[in-house]
Formats: sequence, structure tokens, C-alpha cells
Amino acid sequence: MTKAVRTREGALILDSHKLSYHYDRVEAWEAGERIAPVSVDMALTRACGSMCSFCYAMMQESQARSSIKTQHALNLLDDFAEIGIRSVSLVSDGESTLSTAYVPFIQHAASLGIDVGNATNAWEWEPEKIEQVLPHLTWVRFTVAAGRPESYANIMYKGPEHTTVFDRAISHIKYAVDLKRRKGLSVTLGIQMVLMPKLKDEIIPFAQLGLDLGVDYAVIKHCSDDEQGTLGIDYNQYNSLHEFLEQAETMSSDQTKIIVKWSKIKDGNKPSYKRFYGPQFLLQISGSGLVAPSGMFFNARYSKLHIGNFAEERFKDIWKSKRYWRAMDYLASPSFDAQTMMGTLPIQYYVSVALDNHAKGIQRIRPETGLKPLHHNFL
Amino acid sequence: MGSNLHYVAVDTPIPTSEWANSSDIERLSRLKQALTTQKPLFQEVLKIVSAKPDGQVIVCLKEQLPPNQRGTVLLDLEEFLKKVVDPGLVVWLDALGDRNSLRNLRGVEVKG
Repeated sequence: MTKAVRTREGALILDSHKLSYHYDRVEAWEAGERIAPVSVDMALTRACGSMCSFCYAMMQESQARSSIKTQHALNLLDDFAEIGIRSVSLVSDGESTLSTAYVPFIQHAASLGIDVGNATNAWEWEPEKIEQVLPHLTWVRFTVAAGRPESYANIMYKGPEHTTVFDRAISHIKYAVDLKRRKGLSVTLGIQMVLMPKLKDEIIPFAQLGLDLGVDYAVIKHCSDDEQGTLGIDYNQYNSLHEFLEQAETMSSDQTKIIVKWSKIKDGNKPSYKRFYGPQFLLQISGSGLVAPSGMFFNARYSKLHIGNFAEERFKDIWKSKRYWRAMDYLASPSFDAQTMMGTLPIQYYVSVALDNHAKGIQRIRPETGLKPLHHNFL
Repeated sequence: MGSNLHYVAVDTPIPTSEWANSSDIERLSRLKQALTTQKPLFQEVLKIVSAKPDGQVIVCLKEQLPPNQRGTVLLDLEEFLKKVVDPGLVVWLDALGDRNSLRNLRGVEVKG
């Protein structure tokens, strides 16, 4: 496996994929079998108290939102376990910490042997909640838009004067870092900056904040946009940021690795693949309950790829349905062109590149039998 | 190799020059005629809003359909239009804007 960063706790892969550790699924997929996803990325709600200027959720509104009750969420996990899903990341299009299902969901997943990760702004992630979930989480990635309080508040909330949100997030992150140390937990803690080209002056302060917090990593990634360019991201401008990004990487310490997702930043807005195989391995579910192959299809515009809602019917029935496989087959057919019919750099990007290269014979995926990297069940 | 991997390097069909060079009215007329004469049932649940030279056909649903139905209806429609009208047609619904009132303060408008 390439692009692993050595940390004190193991190899960390953030700028590549881990399909080699799920070769059974790759073989089954290649043979034309109907496979269960290795991982599901989802949210327990569409709600969020932030208003991040880079947020893709602004483009993910579907026709209706179902209220996800705790029982729906627990049933979903039972279905995941039954069909063989190995991990769940609570990221997607909402702030899952706001859901009443949040704590029981994570605890139930752990009891079923399903790995759980969580991305959060940490604003409502208070010590009591942290104590309840941290021992059961594989990783937590905090959205930290900038290293300086005023910039953070400007990007993630109403304006630079609202720095209380920064203070609140930082106190909760520090609590988690301390709890991890005190209890010797295996959870990986990281912060993430979504880099818009205009934010170049925030790169170094962000890296410094990562070091100051003592998290395991601080990662900088591209900003996704839809194919209509709703957010107005000019991918050509990323080239002028390379110098700052390289400088940030040199700041890595033994404790905290500064990581740049170079693959996504350099690939810009046009992927190498036309067919979109990734969702068969890494499925997304909206905080509205909507099941669609990718978060980039949650908006009503992509309704032809809407499959079902797990708050209205059991997920295992959705997965077995003709609808599910018709949508997946459509994405693998000439009718769909990932270069023009969807937003840029989806969560399935790395997996889709690897599967495309595999199918074209450019670079075959090989099984890995050595020591597994951290979070190997998250693709 | 599974059957659906055979298309890995196949180009997606683009509209014929006949479609691309038609006027907006002519394109809409071709779609409506095909639906009226061959698949009138579609018109009970949806309406064609626009038909662009690049093959994008934008439709709206007359009544909200649940997610376990709307995908099937729209994929059926696209399959029909590709077969009967032009192989380069692609069906989309009108895009929806964000309902989050806080994020809406940003003033970002989803482009359709």
C-alpha cells in the first residue's frame, strides 16, 4: 500500500485507498457479484449549527427529510452487520452529534464489531458525550477551518467576532486528547482544514494549531464543488498554494503529522475515470435517511439515482432490491460520465480511481497480507 | 471480468447533430410527441421543463414520489428517451436549494 504516513500508533493512510485489505470484495466485484459495501458514510441528521463557507451540504438537499429515530439507526446497524458492512463513518451531510441517536448508535455499532469514525465540529460534543463514545470510536476528525479564532469564526460561523465557537471546539478537542492519553485509547484524533484557494494564509496557522493541540494528525484537503460550480472553486489556483502546503508538511512532529491530500489537490476537477465504481464499496446515506450511491447525488436533481430511505424501509431490503443494483449498474454503464455528470472529488474518489485503473489493467489491486494500517476498514 | 466492467473505457453517447442543432421548441416537441404517442403514462407523473442542446432533459414531478419510486420512474424515462428520441439524452430533475436557514445566510445559490 502506498502513501502511508508513519505515526506512533501505526501506518496512517489518508491520501489513498485500502482496497488491498478487502481483496475478497474486489474479487467478487470483478466477477460481477452483488457485493455489500465495505464501508458506509452517513449522517444521523441533516441539521448543523455551523455555516461553513465550503460546505457541500448546501448542494445536497433532497425532496424530503425523514426524522431518523434511534430505533431506525439501530436497525440500520443490525442490517449492516447482517450483510457484511465493516465500518461506518458519521460524516456525510449533517452534524451527527446533534442527533439523539448519536451515542446509542456508536455504542451499538461497537457491540456488533462494526468500526465507527466520526467527523464533527465538536461544538456540541461535550465531556459527558465524549466519555460515552470515545472508547468505541476508531477515529474522530474535527472540522477546523482555520487555526486562528477570527478566521475560524468567519469561515464556519457568522463572522470574525464570534470566536466563542472556536473556543468551545478547542476545549472539547483538548478534552478528547487528554482522555485518550489518560485511558490509553486507540482512537485516532485529527483535525481537518478544507482548503479553498483564497485561504492560503490559514495553512500555516492551521498546522501550528494541530501541533499545539497534540492531535495525531492535521490534514489539509481540497474543496469539492458540484459540476455547475456552485461554490465557484477555481482548481487552477491550487497550484499557487503548493509552497505553503509543503512548508506545512515539514512542521510534522513525532506526535502530530501534518498531511496534505496531494492526490485530490493535484487532480483538480477532472477525474481519470468515467465510470463510477466506488459506491459499490463505499456507499453514502444522507442525514435525511436517503440512500443514494454517493452524497453528490443527494440533491433532488439526481433523483434518478435515489434508491430508498432507511427510515421508511429496512436497509437490507433496499440493498437487495433491483433499484439498488439498477443505480449501481447505471453508474458503471456508458450512460454515466463521472467527468461531467457529478461534482468534483467525491468521498469515493480514491476507491474509484483504483477500481478504474484495476479494470483498465493500468494498475491491478493486489491483496495485502502484512500488518494492516490504521483504520483499514475505512476505505 | 464482470459484465458491467466492459464499459470502463467506453465513451458516453453525445446527442446527434440533429438534436443539438434543433431549436428549444423543436426539441421539446420531439420529446412530447414521443411521450404522447408511445408512453403517455409518464406524463401523468412528470412534466418536461427544458431540453438543452447538450442532451440534458430537465423534468419536474407533478406529485412528490417517494425515493423508492422516483429513481425507477426517471431511469425508465431516460432509457425510453435514449432509445426513441436520441441516444445522448440525460434526464435530471430541477435542483433544490439548501433548506438550512443558517447556511442560507451565506447567499450561495445552487445552480441548476
